[in-house]
Amino acid sequence: MTPEQFLEQLRTQFGAALTEAEAKGSVLLLTTTADQGYAVCKALHDLGFEYLNCLSGVDWTTHLEVVYDLSSLHHAAKVHLRVKVDRADPLVRSVSDLWKAANWHERECYDMFGVRFDGHPDHRRILLSEDWVGFPLRKDYTDERLVPYTDYGLEEKQAKTEAGKGAPKPTSAAPKPPAPPKPPAPTG
Amino acid sequence: MSMTTPIPIGTQVITERLGETMEEMYVNMGPQHPSTHGVLRLMLKLDGEVITDCIPYIGYLHRCHEKIGENRNYVQIIPYTDRLDYLASMAMNFGYVLSVERLMNQEVPPRAEYMRVILAELQRIASHLLWLGTFGLDLGNFTIFIYCFREREMVLDLFEAVSGQRLNYAFYRIGGMAMDFPDGWIEQCREFLTWFKPRIPEYDALVTDNILFQKRIRGIGVMDGPTAVNYGLSGPMLRASGINWDLRRNDPYSVYDRFEFNVPVFDTCDVWGRFLVRRQEMIESVKIIEQALEGLPSGDIQAKVPKTIKPAAGQAYVRTESPRGELGFYLVSDGTPKPYRYKVRSPAFCNLSALTEMMRGCLVADAVAILGSVDIVLGEIDR
Repeated sequence: MTPEQFLEQLRTQFGAALTEAEAKGSVLLLTTTADQGYAVCKALHDLGFEYLNCLSGVDWTTHLEVVYDLSSLHHAAKVHLRVKVDRADPLVRSVSDLWKAANWHERECYDMFGVRFDGHPDHRRILLSEDWVGFPLRKDYTDERLVPYTDYGLEEKQAKTEAGKGAPKPTSAAPKPPAPPKPPAPTG
Repeated sequence: MSMTTPIPIGTQVITERLGETMEEMYVNMGPQHPSTHGVLRLMLKLDGEVITDCIPYIGYLHRCHEKIGENRNYVQIIPYTDRLDYLASMAMNFGYVLSVERLMNQEVPPRAEYMRVILAELQRIASHLLWLGTFGLDLGNFTIFIYCFREREMVLDLFEAVSGQRLNYAFYRIGGMAMDFPDGWIEQCREFLTWFKPRIPEYDALVTDNILFQKRIRGIGVMDGPTAVNYGLSGPMLRASGINWDLRRNDPYSVYDRFEFNVPVFDTCDVWGRFLVRRQEMIESVKIIEQALEGLPSGDIQAKVPKTIKPAAGQAYVRTESPRGELGFYLVSDGTPKPYRYKVRSPAFCNLSALTEMMRGCLVADAVAILGSVDIVLGEIDR
């Protein structure tokens, strides 16, 4: 089956529940809601997407997303399914009964984003310790040990060189401009 | 044994008993154990000598790789990817730069593509050699360890000549490579290949044809094909379960579609099969390197890329075949110089998740062999 045929079948089955559905090359880009997530996964599993490549979370600050990357060993089509989850009470149904691979991936997603998976056989943190407070990959997670991002003045420098392109070059007699203030050294 | 008998140190007799004379106990293995190749902790539930359950505890080496990635720009992440799988840094670099290039639709000069393939395949040989050596060591065969390290040292010398580093190269760049091969390197590489090819029969004489070695690893850690797919196993683990699947051939990336090579598949589904797959893969990697050296084009090694890399908003999941299996990078860009979300799908993480399934019903003496056959690197499991 081609990606378009898969898409056709999914559209007839789910209709408006698939808020986004398009085929980009061999990849099916799908988006759905949390209550339909499991049903869509099951349909995809039955359509022959027997390999769960990756399950990850994304924090969009307004909502969370659980992203499923599926593929098959028999056809070239791939699936990129995004399930939108409420940020205050993130709950989706576990797909670990469809793909056992999801077991650890979902534990990791819970560990990092706090998404709870209904029906998961072993719902614990996996990488962090049991008593860890908070979900580190959420965008509002703070920790004084985190080193803030710095581009070490690269953007400022570029803006300056672009602005200075049209202007005549300063002669050697002209006084040197003062050195730009250095960004504070990262601590910790 | 009555309940008043003192509990032996290091074991915990659980109160529920199966029958009158049988009892189950937990044995803790790791995190400081030479056969866990890092800091992995296993709780083995034993019924006599038979493993009835195995609970892996990971995360001892967690260092917020993904969170760090979100706080660095796209170029700054490259050295961090080295530390994922520190035994196959070239492969980690390769997967990461490919995913950024996919995100920004960046073309790569053909010479750089060939260099990438050559270095990635050399890395596969080095990684499999280290696996074979330590696997032999786990099973009490010390000689093969020394043999394998001798050859691996030569590969590391080649890498050192190219990049100046022996383990963490950070040699791949977005849109190309950091430097060209130094003078005389290609001859040096050819010399290594000529020297390496006759070494495989040497290993065979030492381990493959060794009846003790075979008896030790045949029929243990069984994982059939459909279950392996369901668990998301990849790489040699999947191919040893009779599934003919290799991303270099089934979903070609870079210039892998230009080379002739076989994908070794064995359907023994056990530790023996995984051993045979990795042994055969080294031979196939030699074939790929020879073809790539033969067809190595001249020209640029670095495409023109913007000074600040700002891919357009979008996302990409790119998978490559690392020595341990499917290495995936999932990147979400919001148009700024740093990734909005940076996720690593680590092959050993998924392979290890099936450990419980493989261990169940095996003897405790085989636990080390089964764990060794997974070829774990805690650096990429814990991230």
